[in-house]
Amino acid sequence: MSLPTILFWILAVISILSAIGVVVAKNPVHSVLLLIVTFFTITGFYILLNAQFLAVVHIIVYAGAIMVLFLFVIMLMNLNASGEPQKNNLVKFAGVVAGGLLLIVLVAALKKADTGMLIQGSTNIGLIQNLGKVLFKDFVLPFEVSSILFLSAMIGAIVIGKKD
Amino acid sequence: MPIQNYIWLSIALFSIGVIGVLIRRNAIVIFMCIELMLNAVNLLLVAFSKYHHDASAQIFVFFIMVVAAAEVSVGLAIIVMVYRHTKSVDVNILNRLKN
Amino acid sequence: MNALISTAVFGIFLMISGLFIKSKQAIRILAISGVVAAFVLNIIDFRQYGASATELFHGMLSVTNFGLLFIEIILGCVLVYFLLSGKDLANIGHYTGEYFALIFFILCGVVLAATYGNMLMLFLSIEIMSIPQYILAGSDKHNLKSHEASLKYFLMGAFSTGFLLMGIALLYGATGSFDITTMNLAGRPIDAMALAGIILIAFALAFKVSAAPFHFWTPDVYDGAPTVVTSFISTIVKVGGFVAFIRLFHIAFGSPDVDKHWLLVLSIITAATLIIGNVTAVFQQSVKRMLAYSSISQAGFMLFAVIAMNVLSWQGILLYAAAYSLATIGCFAILMKMKDYTYDGYNGLAQKQPLLALMNTIFLFSLVGIPATAGFLAKYFVLSAAVEKGGLLWLVILAVCCAAISAFYYFRLIWAMYFKAGDCQVEEHAITPAFKSVLALTALLVIILGVWPGLILAWI
Repeated sequence: MSLPTILFWILAVISILSAIGVVVAKNPVHSVLLLIVTFFTITGFYILLNAQFLAVVHIIVYAGAIMVLFLFVIMLMNLNASGEPQKNNLVKFAGVVAGGLLLIVLVAALKKADTGMLIQGSTNIGLIQNLGKVLFKDFVLPFEVSSILFLSAMIGAIVIGKKD
Repeated sequence: MPIQNYIWLSIALFSIGVIGVLIRRNAIVIFMCIELMLNAVNLLLVAFSKYHHDASAQIFVFFIMVVAAAEVSVGLAIIVMVYRHTKSVDVNILNRLKN
Repeated sequence: MNALISTAVFGIFLMISGLFIKSKQAIRILAISGVVAAFVLNIIDFRQYGASATELFHGMLSVTNFGLLFIEIILGCVLVYFLLSGKDLANIGHYTGEYFALIFFILCGVVLAATYGNMLMLFLSIEIMSIPQYILAGSDKHNLKSHEASLKYFLMGAFSTGFLLMGIALLYGATGSFDITTMNLAGRPIDAMALAGIILIAFALAFKVSAAPFHFWTPDVYDGAPTVVTSFISTIVKVGGFVAFIRLFHIAFGSPDVDKHWLLVLSIITAATLIIGNVTAVFQQSVKRMLAYSSISQAGFMLFAVIAMNVLSWQGILLYAAAYSLATIGCFAILMKMKDYTYDGYNGLAQKQPLLALMNTIFLFSLVGIPATAGFLAKYFVLSAAVEKGGLLWLVILAVCCAAISAFYYFRLIWAMYFKAGDCQVEEHAITPAFKSVLALTALLVIILGVWPGLILAWI
């Protein structure tokens, strides 16, 4: 086994375990921290896949901004005392069965899909120069349109978040 | 490294996120599970980007991050608003009030 | 793309105007003039784009005259909505300018839904339509039900977005392209990955248009949100979701060797939507909740346009969008003037406000599908599209039965207005002559469209 393959399996095990941890952790703060671990492993996959720029952005946006926001809100509400009312076991069981069925159906469907091998070695499509060219040439309209999305999110945070 | 490994991995992460949404009642944890689902999709898109040797999937991942950031700001504002009035982030707020 | 630019610019303009203009009346007039401007500017676009798609911005948008016509209908409905319910929208809370700005941003999303040419634009348009809705649903900040609506809508919407993205990712993995026209699913054996992607996208979009069995968020959200917001999200945004749905499934997945894989799934969703929407609506006591379930059942009829896939279905969705939106906006505008939202609250409306009762009757007739109203022709078009497609006769028969069931709960309201004695409480001061005349014009439009559909269809 080559080094990337070994790294893949190590990261895969860590990410699955920490993702399960996010779901089962009783304390929301633990969920946030485990989710950050998952995000770091996903960053590792991005590097393995030669998406260097995305890896950096992912760390900055997810671990740096979004999860900090989550932590702030949780601490603001003082939720770390684990007083979450639990769903009854039947609902939980049904939820696990539904999710498991989704997994099985998708796996069964995709097992037949044609398998290809990822190209060995590095490519330069994930470099900032290449991505910048694509983003500002082919994808310039979505880039502009997403500003509307941000404006409405901004209005929303003010309209909803402000005390009357 | 076959592309299938990445497909299995991201489908597994996606399903764990779905299970989390279905079994938890804390709105913040549900929201985190949704973030997990989006990240599974991001991972899949990056893997396909390398497979097809095409940068547009990586650009798509950018936009998913953009939308996730916007959604988080709105979503946490909604959760804080609910918390202010009910002192709880349980998704069944009205059921809780009836009891 | 004048409509895109004008709605975005007016949205930003209104957002800032809240800072300088304190009068709610002035902001409302500004918003109405914004819609009129977008309406006029969009007409100018008609000369440039024909029936075949024009690709703009490297294939991000693919503009046809169908898309422009749809935008035109939506802008017309929003104009009616602002004229009828603009005051209620301005009075939800303190942020009048912001509410109107959010409506304009949603319009921007609808414009993109009618013209997108790339999966990325589909995703962005759905999100631009959704995020302002979460905010508007929770804008009544002193009402706990509004909070619940907002939270539920947000979590469910984000959850379904996850499915949409998974579908898009799988489809990309199978085809290597995000462009809906060059995806090229036809002409080669369809791969399991693409199929899984199509089904996931279908589920996510069914969720957005509240088709059963993905409808469970709808009654609570529509009931909990402020009535004026419910009026908007159950009409304009829902048909916006439908145009995204129909364009994706016809253009990208419409070829005969692809559609046989998803047709059965969508047929079952349609049947479930019709049955659940209509049967549950019968048991409601609140008119607002009845209209929420009625919007689910009307979604079932609109789904016929998605599964039929021929010229008639494109015409049908245009007519349906206009007929359903106008009638529902009218019903909600009258509902907002009532103090009691139950059926009993309507008792004796015909004696007190004969004009309102008459207009409400016309709107309800259109929702049932009585001949000579727009709703009848819209239903006729979508159902005959399904008959022409063939193999869907069972579904058409089911739909006709469901339309008969729907007559029960719509007529119950008419019965309460005309034949039950009672003392209904109406907000008299809000029923101005201007409101009455706009309502009468809307009802007239519903009848004109029912007699002369060429008013819309001649443009396509």
